[in-house]
Amino acid sequence: MCSSHELTGKEFQPIATSSSYMERIKGMRFFDPHVHMTSRTTDDYQAMADAGVVAIIEPAFWLGQPRTGVDTFRDYFNSLIGWERFRSSQFGIKHYCTIGLNSKEANNERLAEAVMEILPSFIYKEGVVGVGEIGFDDQTAAEEKYYRAQLELAKEAGLPVQIHTPHRDKKKGTQRSMDIALEHGLDPHMVIVDHNNEETVKEVLDRGFWAAFTIYPFTKMGNERMVEIVKQYGSERIMVNSAADWGISDPLAVPKTAALMHESGIDLNDIHLVTFRNAITAFAQSGQMDEVDFDTVKDVDQSLKFNGSTVLRGGQQPRIDKQSNIIR
Amino acid sequence: MEHAYHYDRNKFDALLYGIIEQSSTEQALTWLQQQKEKLGEPVSVQRFNLTFTAIPRFMGKHPVKSATSYIELSDNTSFFIQGYTLDKLVRIWWLLQFPAADKDAYIKVIEGLFDAADMNEQAALYAALPLLAWPEAWVFRTTEGIRSNIGPVQEAVMLYNIYPARNLEESAWNQLVMKAFFTDKPIHLISGLDERANQKLAATLVDYAHERWAAGRKVHPMLWRLVGPFINADNFQDIQRIWHSEVNVEKEAAALACASSTYAPAKDLLEQSAILRDEISSQRLTWDTIAARIA
Repeated sequence: MCSSHELTGKEFQPIATSSSYMERIKGMRFFDPHVHMTSRTTDDYQAMADAGVVAIIEPAFWLGQPRTGVDTFRDYFNSLIGWERFRSSQFGIKHYCTIGLNSKEANNERLAEAVMEILPSFIYKEGVVGVGEIGFDDQTAAEEKYYRAQLELAKEAGLPVQIHTPHRDKKKGTQRSMDIALEHGLDPHMVIVDHNNEETVKEVLDRGFWAAFTIYPFTKMGNERMVEIVKQYGSERIMVNSAADWGISDPLAVPKTAALMHESGIDLNDIHLVTFRNAITAFAQSGQMDEVDFDTVKDVDQSLKFNGSTVLRGGQQPRIDKQSNIIR
Repeated sequence: MEHAYHYDRNKFDALLYGIIEQSSTEQALTWLQQQKEKLGEPVSVQRFNLTFTAIPRFMGKHPVKSATSYIELSDNTSFFIQGYTLDKLVRIWWLLQFPAADKDAYIKVIEGLFDAADMNEQAALYAALPLLAWPEAWVFRTTEGIRSNIGPVQEAVMLYNIYPARNLEESAWNQLVMKAFFTDKPIHLISGLDERANQKLAATLVDYAHERWAAGRKVHPMLWRLVGPFINADNFQDIQRIWHSEVNVEKEAAALACASSTYAPAKDLLEQSAILRDEISSQRLTWDTIAARIA
């Protein structure tokens, strides 16, 4: 989530839109392996498609306030493999998800037990490319218990694990997450450690895990810092994502970071690895990903309906002209 | 027999009601008394829940008129009501009206309010933690409040609230303090901040400072207040770093941290500035003066 550290007031001013970065990434294809589309609008989907995002992964997460019953979890998981997947397809973006019990809500043990019972029926669903996002938030005993239980589920299902590392006490939390994954016999190559920063990246890479970086304004990584990371550590096992959600975040973080890397003289192949290929390599280990689908989903049939609902409402044109002040 | 309340509930109830009377219209007070009568014997849970939710409609949401900013609970313990609106104060009073003798029934009903609470109700409920019966029953709920993403709810748990410092175990307490830093809360308003300072929290905060420096971000000067009593060979170079800061308030934070340390090199460092040392010993420089400057 976002905090208001160091906001000066100019962040609240309207920003003149400059799409010059779009020129730099023309023709590139991007994969955002962590974005919470449930919390985003159709405008975001359109902008992502326009910027070259062809596929995404939506990890199951915390919706901003605690759920009080298992049924709302079930409905949420269903929406990730159902409605949201369909909504995404209408914009030509292939949608995958990871399913898991997030660390915050693992602390409600009564509920957590009930969620663990329904999890297996979701993690074997088609297009579920991992167990995630799981790991630590406060680093409590309950969080550890359900993190371990879900590592076992992932291991049995042969699925990659997407680890959320904590905001607070991050360095130790990250180390502990990796220690426990190894203790459960997981191959580090099946584990994506997310939300890294300058203080955590070295150990994550040295121990053979995938290192994901979230480009998220004010609280996580900025993309200028990301450029420096790639300059220092190269592109092996590194990937970037937006983790865009209900906070001040940017669903175009991956294309924008690619543009900035290009501007900073980073090799095109490295950009390709960090903003597209590495995430696919990591999550395709689930056996649930086929790149051919990135293209077939592009044959967008706007008249398709999901359970009778379409994202298009009566008479609306599929695309709106953002430059015009007329809305018809 | 085990006591439901760990303070004089009746005395507190009377003081609180006195303040409510001063701030309410006749009509509102009549409504409140009617609700109290309708609560019945045995109490109607439905009436209790309904009234809790309906309070703002019938009592109003204007700031409370009170000569004092707090109500005494017991020796050395006060309940802060500064800036409270009437609905919040009445909700807190209403919570005291549910009979607490049947522990299980009481906990079930109060938990039910938490589960269905909107933002303002949550703020009232969490602020009321030190007043609820069966204090040991609310530990998990408090940690849920710390996990909340909603500013006013976080504030209700973290600021001017004596419950967390008295009831949370160390790791949960440390989460509260860290979350307060992460969400830009006025750290000095956390009750029990210095009493609950600990080695582990100091180490975690130092890691956090390193992360922020690595990201080119500033570190909150109040962070060093919690490191001061635990300065050692590992973190002393961080204290030296802020001692040499060009930002005055950071240097002052370093000086205050050294003043609370027993580590010899830290004491020596403070001796290097007679001005800061004297300002501290004469109380012209304190953590409160720092808090006022960075506010």
